[in-house]
Amino acid sequence: MKRFLPPLAVLAAILALSLWNARVMESQTSHLRSQLLQAQELAAAENWPGAENVLADSYADWTSRQTYLHIVTEHDAVDDAEAMYQRAQAFAAVRETAEFQAEITDLRDQLRLLSEMEACSIRNIL
Amino acid sequence: MITAFVRTVILYVLITAGLRLLGKRQIAQLEPVELVLTMMISDLATVPMQDFGIPLLAGIIPILTLLSLSMLLSQLSLRSLRFRELVCGSPTVLIRNGQVQQAAMAKNRYTLDELLEELRQQGITSVADVKYAVLENSGQLSVLPVAAQKPPTAAQLELEVKDDVTLPLVLINDGRLLRKNLTARGLDENWLQKELKKRRLSSPRQVFLLTVDEKGSVFCVKKEAAE
Repeated sequence: MKRFLPPLAVLAAILALSLWNARVMESQTSHLRSQLLQAQELAAAENWPGAENVLADSYADWTSRQTYLHIVTEHDAVDDAEAMYQRAQAFAAVRETAEFQAEITDLRDQLRLLSEMEACSIRNIL
Repeated sequence: MITAFVRTVILYVLITAGLRLLGKRQIAQLEPVELVLTMMISDLATVPMQDFGIPLLAGIIPILTLLSLSMLLSQLSLRSLRFRELVCGSPTVLIRNGQVQQAAMAKNRYTLDELLEELRQQGITSVADVKYAVLENSGQLSVLPVAAQKPPTAAQLELEVKDDVTLPLVLINDGRLLRKNLTARGLDENWLQKELKKRRLSSPRQVFLLTVDEKGSVFCVKKEAAE
């Protein structure tokens, strides 16, 4: 029975790490998405300084998680989200409401996608 | 990550089962499980190496999963003969007493041409000369000719022969003295120096190969001078 333990332990560890990673990704991206939703609402109410501040906070949080994201998920998806953050900040700076709203919506979708890619779901597996 | 883990498990089981269904002759020298492992690991290892857009973990997780599954299968195979048969298969007799076992050949998708080719490669021209031909799990065909087609052994001829089969141990390998083997033979460096002197040599560095068997017979090849 002892000989079964090392491979079983490795398999269990990988499974646990995978499930933990899925939960971390979900919680991190939902936090970022709620920040972005708040920025969207502030911009819709023409409170641009508030929207810029919330977006800057969200970007700071995003930046602090980039290394982890690059370790566990596809780099292209992370780089796309980074580019969207940059564009959203540029639109906020020039008060482009329509472009800003569209970009933030895309960015929220991209973050949801990042989380979904790591989720344990039949759709992902198949 | 969980996707990579579950996908790896699914693909591993699927490819192992698929290769088992393909039959032994497709497998050549490796057993099905070993072949799957070799194929998948070599492929998995190269993807993250070439594509920097993929995290390294995407290669490491499937490889660790495969190695663990393989270890698990090996242990299960050791414990259960039925499981081993399920995973690795069992040898199949294709010729018995000069009779081709057609049902066994069809089951293993082994054609008559392949069988005859394999027999010819082993120096047999007629199926009637074969007592048993067994298709092994590795995909190789073991052929046992009928007694009349085999060279007679000393025992069959009732001859008294001297048991002169000995296992030589390498003492010097390309100029390097293997002290462990010297001790294992119960010899020492004084003995070696004497042997070298007999051959007008002064150092093991001048020897390419020196072996000694259980009866103390020494075989020595001197090193050729570098050109």
